Amino acid sequence: MMYDFIIVGAGITGAMIARTLSKYDVSVLVLEKENDVGNHATLANSAIIHSGHDPKHGTLKARFCVEGNRLYDTLEKELKIPLLRSGGLLLSRNAAEVDTLKAIYENAKLNNVPGMKLLEKQALKAKEPNISKTVIMGLDLPTTKITYPWEVALKAMENAINNGVFFAKNTEVFAMAKTENGFDITTNNGVFKSKQIINAAGAFAGKVAAMVENHVPYEVKPRRGEYLVLDRRVKGFLNHTLYPVPNNKGKGTLIVPQVHGNILIGPTNTPQSSLYATPNDVDALSSIKENADKLMTDIPYHQVIRTFAGVRASIDHEDFYIDYSREVDGFMHVAGIDSPGLTAAPAIAEYVVNSLIKSKTTLDPKPNFNPNEPECTMYHALNTAEKKAAFATNKRYGKIICKCERITEGDLMQHITRTLGADTIKGMKKRARVGSGLCQGGYCEHETIKVLAKASNKDQTEIDYYDKDTPVLLKETKVKL
Amino acid sequence: MKKHDIVIIGGGAGGLAAAQGASAPHLDVLLLEKDARLGGILNQCIHTGFGLQHYKEELTGPEYAQRAIRELEGLPITIKTNTTVIAIEKTTDFTITYTNESEGETTIRATACILTTGSFERTRGAIKLPGTRPKGIITAGSAQRYLNIDGYLVGKNIFILGSGDIGLIMARRLTLEGAQVLGVAEILPHASGLTRNIVQCLHDYDIPLYLSHTVTDIRGAGQLRGITISEVDANFQKKPHTEKHFEVDTLMLSVGLIPDITAFNGLSFAKDNRTNGALVNQTFETSLEGLFAAGNALHIHDLVDDVSAESLLAGKHAKAYLENKNQKAASHIDVLVDEHINYCLPQRIQCTQDTDPITFSLRVKAKHEKATLKIMQGDKVLMTRKRQHLAPAEMERITFKNVDRLDDQTPLSLKLEVS
Amino acid sequence: MEKTMICILCPVGCHLEVDTDLNVEGNRCPRGIEYAKKEMTNPTRTLTTTVAIKSATHRRLSVKSAHPLPKEKLFACMAIINNVLITAPVHIGDIIVPNILDTGVDIVATNTILNGDAASG
Repeated sequence: MMYDFIIVGAGITGAMIARTLSKYDVSVLVLEKENDVGNHATLANSAIIHSGHDPKHGTLKARFCVEGNRLYDTLEKELKIPLLRSGGLLLSRNAAEVDTLKAIYENAKLNNVPGMKLLEKQALKAKEPNISKTVIMGLDLPTTKITYPWEVALKAMENAINNGVFFAKNTEVFAMAKTENGFDITTNNGVFKSKQIINAAGAFAGKVAAMVENHVPYEVKPRRGEYLVLDRRVKGFLNHTLYPVPNNKGKGTLIVPQVHGNILIGPTNTPQSSLYATPNDVDALSSIKENADKLMTDIPYHQVIRTFAGVRASIDHEDFYIDYSREVDGFMHVAGIDSPGLTAAPAIAEYVVNSLIKSKTTLDPKPNFNPNEPECTMYHALNTAEKKAAFATNKRYGKIICKCERITEGDLMQHITRTLGADTIKGMKKRARVGSGLCQGGYCEHETIKVLAKASNKDQTEIDYYDKDTPVLLKETKVKL
Repeated sequence: MKKHDIVIIGGGAGGLAAAQGASAPHLDVLLLEKDARLGGILNQCIHTGFGLQHYKEELTGPEYAQRAIRELEGLPITIKTNTTVIAIEKTTDFTITYTNESEGETTIRATACILTTGSFERTRGAIKLPGTRPKGIITAGSAQRYLNIDGYLVGKNIFILGSGDIGLIMARRLTLEGAQVLGVAEILPHASGLTRNIVQCLHDYDIPLYLSHTVTDIRGAGQLRGITISEVDANFQKKPHTEKHFEVDTLMLSVGLIPDITAFNGLSFAKDNRTNGALVNQTFETSLEGLFAAGNALHIHDLVDDVSAESLLAGKHAKAYLENKNQKAASHIDVLVDEHINYCLPQRIQCTQDTDPITFSLRVKAKHEKATLKIMQGDKVLMTRKRQHLAPAEMERITFKNVDRLDDQTPLSLKLEVS
Repeated sequence: MEKTMICILCPVGCHLEVDTDLNVEGNRCPRGIEYAKKEMTNPTRTLTTTVAIKSATHRRLSVKSAHPLPKEKLFACMAIINNVLITAPVHIGDIIVPNILDTGVDIVATNTILNGDAASG
């Protein structure tokens, strides 16, 4: 079969483009080398829907950030994604920083960031009681929001699939060849044919582009970001996303409330050679604390439940690189999607489809396109009547698997049978939060393995932790039962 | 809404003993256990070493659990297994919501409540290990469960971080089941586990113990491929050029337990940030009236025998609370400790007519040979006890009998005079 | 050959040195001498492990050697125990492997597993 489009990569960018394309009467296949959507930058980032104050006016980043921020309100309604309207505060601590802050304010006005206000110390303290005494002025950025980025990618991809897009996970592109009317794409799962290719491979975009182009117009320069995560029981300590005034090394260390109640502190910003994430570095973690302490006092570090690192798909350009190849007809770059990539993703997808693709290809709207996805509510979030009804149909809603997050066996089943269901422990953790609490899986991992094995009729030793061939249980002892 | 006199949350060693202590013909006692069987973590602790004090006999964990379960036979106690408590609130009574597969979410009321929920294991996140985040890093208790209950090995080549008893016991278990344990690293200059376990679990199998060492690198993307340990100085800072590399598929963590009282964050009771558990008086009542805590949910014990003894008392006090509920609230004095003592329970003493002896449980901060423990009030020495040997890994107990001599205005202080 | 060992009879943990003639040094009490001699001549250990069990609720039954076994035979005993498959119900104290490796020691159940009755097990 000859597809109209093959999208390489099912991160948030690829998933959003797939969904936008699914509004039209075209055949689309998404290839993902990992065993799930959004396993890299989409999974490990700050989760902020930025207001658009920071990117330099006139860039694609500035334009798509402000536009994307607005589009998230629609996504919330259609895809039922979580959106926390925390607002943001950009904080300055001395005269030089105040000057920078005011310059950012001017830039943000040009970008059409809505609702901003300069705030003095007292007003800041009223909004954020645990703010550091050294903060003297702040910029209120009320459109700043928080989401769960990985779920956005999952829901977008599920919606695309439900509207006819094909999705092949565990499928890695090894080679691409230009043919007379399109491309042959060789993968570990065979050769696929497509008229056009959209390269949304994140940190791997350079590698993918080099399969067809002699001179890739950018070079990927991955940069590591490391974070500390505080337990969700700290909820209430922080109300807004706190930004320091940026320096030449980027946005700096942020303090971010999360949709599930945790607080995220980070990221660092370290160049690295690997395209993968990435070791946590002890020095980096202490520098995170040092920087965070400049913005807030008495941060409850004893509530740190884990640390993680992500890799930014940065390139050697300041701006996103989104355009058709100048060398190879029908090959499109969507590269350099680093911050504010999460915010921008829906706007990038609109631009890719409505401006770039439509400039050379006629797209007919699909009459039966359905933009909506069902709510996937956890049992504990239901009201009493809904709980009663759910339990009456399935007794497994009565059995708690994950005590920390109050996840029932019924919830697990729901996440196994959904459009893109979980088949690994980490896949379950990402969907249902099983093992995200204080015990970090100590109580519930063995139960999760059993539920996954039973649902897929597999042996418990066949249930992977995350990647292919990473079973938690290596082998059975004793005689076979 | 069903009303009970005493609800005990958690049916391990602590909950079983608490139920035994609380039980009385005229009281409605309910014991809730999340697992399918009673006994809690004892069921996976298949090694011996339990019961020497409480049952005067050396037992394995499951045997100890069976004994404790048998003690409840014939007592008027309602037991619900496969039942998880998901919420608890206090107004005049406790409102407890639990769930199971036969009743679904159910809310009940209770006059008193005993937390015997045990502990959970400190994980990688809590100790902030450097390096990649592959599969293959697992806590010792989880590996123990997989091996002893479910019947699976988690790895072939294993390194253990932390010399706590569960880690040592698992080093032997894994070796006997055919895995290779390449070593145990302990960041402190001395082992955390019992000497007996160092000898019978490590020395017996030639497993090296690296004291003053910690893991300084973890390698492998999807799957753990190897780790590096390095020596640390007195401030736990890595010494350069002391790296040792191990090719392992599993890093097992035995780095401590934390009282599991997370389900009760909705209740406002005072906590002790040294034990990570509740602050209690000598009746094991927390600062919230009618709420009691015991066992590892209160503070981490070395021996299950102590858990049983303490929880039995907590149960009895809960029963007494029900019986004397209309008494006027008593005043309290604080129990203070000096710089050599890490923590001491109870953290405060309720001043009543009751003159039962008070047993203090305490942990010292460092090892001492020959030391003197003093119980004082102001400058007045109320009691002195000499100890030949004190170590952080071994909980020390001291029983104070002359409770009637306490004045109800001055804090009590525990001092350790070291040579 | 000299050997060093730690006495485990009490929490003091004396470091003992024993020579081939079973002279013991480093002990702070007489019990240390007995300990060292036993460890040099006939060290024994109680073996605790599991066997596979056919039951509606459980996959493994915990077992122990009813008495200590010679230390050097532990792995050989494991090999035998690993091939045992028993069927519930089993009661605490039931003999699972009688007289293992002719040591005169039985391997016995340390838990009770009644088929289908999870709460008792």
